[in-house]
Amino acid sequence: MEKLNSTLGAVRSLRSSVRQCFEHLADGTNAELGEDSRTKFLLKFQENFSNMNAQLREVESLINGLQAPQTPYCLGQTTYLAQETAPERQALYSQLVNSYKWIDKVHDHSFLAFNNLNQNNLRRSYTYCSQKRVRIPFASCNNTDPDHTDKLLSEINLPLTSYQVCRPFGSNVVVIVTISRVLKAAIVCKGVLIEWVTVKGFDETLDPDDLWTESRYEVFRKVQEHTHIAMLHFFSPTLPDLAIKSYMTWLNSYSKLFLEACKRCGKFVSNGLPPTWRDLRTLEPFHEECRNC
Amino acid sequence: MGVTVLLPYQIPEGKTGAQAIDYLTKRLLALGAIHTGQFLVDCETYISTPQHGPAKTVHVLHDSEYPASTFSILDNGAGKQIPLVADNLFDLLMLKMTTVYTSKKQTKIESKGARFEYGDFLIKLGSVTMQENFKGILIEIEYRPCVVLSFCWEMIRETLQGFLGMPIAKEYPAYFSQQIMNPMGQQQIHPKQNDLYEPIDTINQYLECFTNYRKQNVLPVASSVGVGAGAGGVAVTTQNATAGMQGGNQRMRM
Ligand SMILES: [Zn+2]
Repeated sequence: MEKLNSTLGAVRSLRSSVRQCFEHLADGTNAELGEDSRTKFLLKFQENFSNMNAQLREVESLINGLQAPQTPYCLGQTTYLAQETAPERQALYSQLVNSYKWIDKVHDHSFLAFNNLNQNNLRRSYTYCSQKRVRIPFASCNNTDPDHTDKLLSEINLPLTSYQVCRPFGSNVVVIVTISRVLKAAIVCKGVLIEWVTVKGFDETLDPDDLWTESRYEVFRKVQEHTHIAMLHFFSPTLPDLAIKSYMTWLNSYSKLFLEACKRCGKFVSNGLPPTWRDLRTLEPFHEECRNC
Repeated sequence: MGVTVLLPYQIPEGKTGAQAIDYLTKRLLALGAIHTGQFLVDCETYISTPQHGPAKTVHVLHDSEYPASTFSILDNGAGKQIPLVADNLFDLLMLKMTTVYTSKKQTKIESKGARFEYGDFLIKLGSVTMQENFKGILIEIEYRPCVVLSFCWEMIRETLQGFLGMPIAKEYPAYFSQQIMNPMGQQQIHPKQNDLYEPIDTINQYLECFTNYRKQNVLPVASSVGVGAGAGGVAVTTQNATAGMQGGNQRMRM
């Protein structure tokens, strides 16, 4: 890759000196200044010309040093663009490259911003990122290959819970989690980041094609609200794998949704609902209204 | 559809059925429950005519919670019960079968009353009547999001205690620990509280309670002077006083 870069650089400088030389030629000499300026012009031209020659030789030697890549570059799904026949859509590739560059920059900036904001002591939640942890090389979590996601999900193995992975939207994953005989949840991921969670009862249908209808039971609508709070809490772009594992562990604590009394008031039912909140660290059950006092 | 527990309510001494229902309704509303209409569960029993071998019984039940279905339970007389859930045409079919099965009209029994929602709970206060006679109060409580009794029994128990104002035993209700015949033909206790709950389980519980009420068809003597039980004719039939529902000693025109 470095060789290729230096070759491209050499080609660029060759082109600029050729351009300089021609510009010089086109400017010509001033006839009024006589013989003296003419020799000066000639000398300058010879200098430019020899420069060009040297650079051309350099380019040639660099090109000889290049090797053909062993494997073709993997362009992922962009290769399918080559099969596009409609002429108005053939320009998509350059747009794609532009947006890719743009996203890359957004990543860099947001990563720097993340580091800066993390030094701020006025945090309200107890997520604490040490300086050491932040310096871990940044892995893109929006674009991970499907194998990585599959492997990650297969590593998660919690009691009473089954996972079913499907991909109704191309390479992005929807995980249908069934927890005991209590509830079902559909987790929509972008790469390995959780984007949306839908929670339904065990006897309700949860179809990957219809992820937006709410449960007909109040308790699961409440649990869904809480899963979204937890989704934001466990969100960690620097450690996406750990984030998803902790989230799954937290979600698994709902296997005892109806079985556990509230840790604060000691009752099972309050306002017709069981304790729907689970503490993010201790996984202890609380009623929504008992949680903050 | 979720776990349902059916509970015969013991009417406090000196109160009529209507007063008891009134009292329970007030407590439910105070708890925050919302009145959401009426409900009706009825049961009619058919008996096979003698020329068709040993007597078989068919109980046909309707539940307003499942308006498109007719539930029937065939009792072969040897302790085996076969449930069948069909659509409403089944009623017409029974009318066609009068040569084989005849209806015992005088035992037609029903439970009807108000329906309440409290969170995801569904609570029904039913007055049981047979031939216009008040037989007692049945309380149905359903926790709709949960399909396994052992998961949510404590929640149901707590809610029941909340509006009945009396303690409920910690053990699972009797229906959920039934004796069943295993494939080897032996009796064994089947822990039903861990099974997935189905609508037919509700129907079975109603049938069980209705059968108990029918057994007290002949009313035991009124031990206390209940409001409606002063009728002189009642005291004659003391021999049949089975230790059944204490609530049965109230008699009232609905
Ligand atoms: Zn509480």
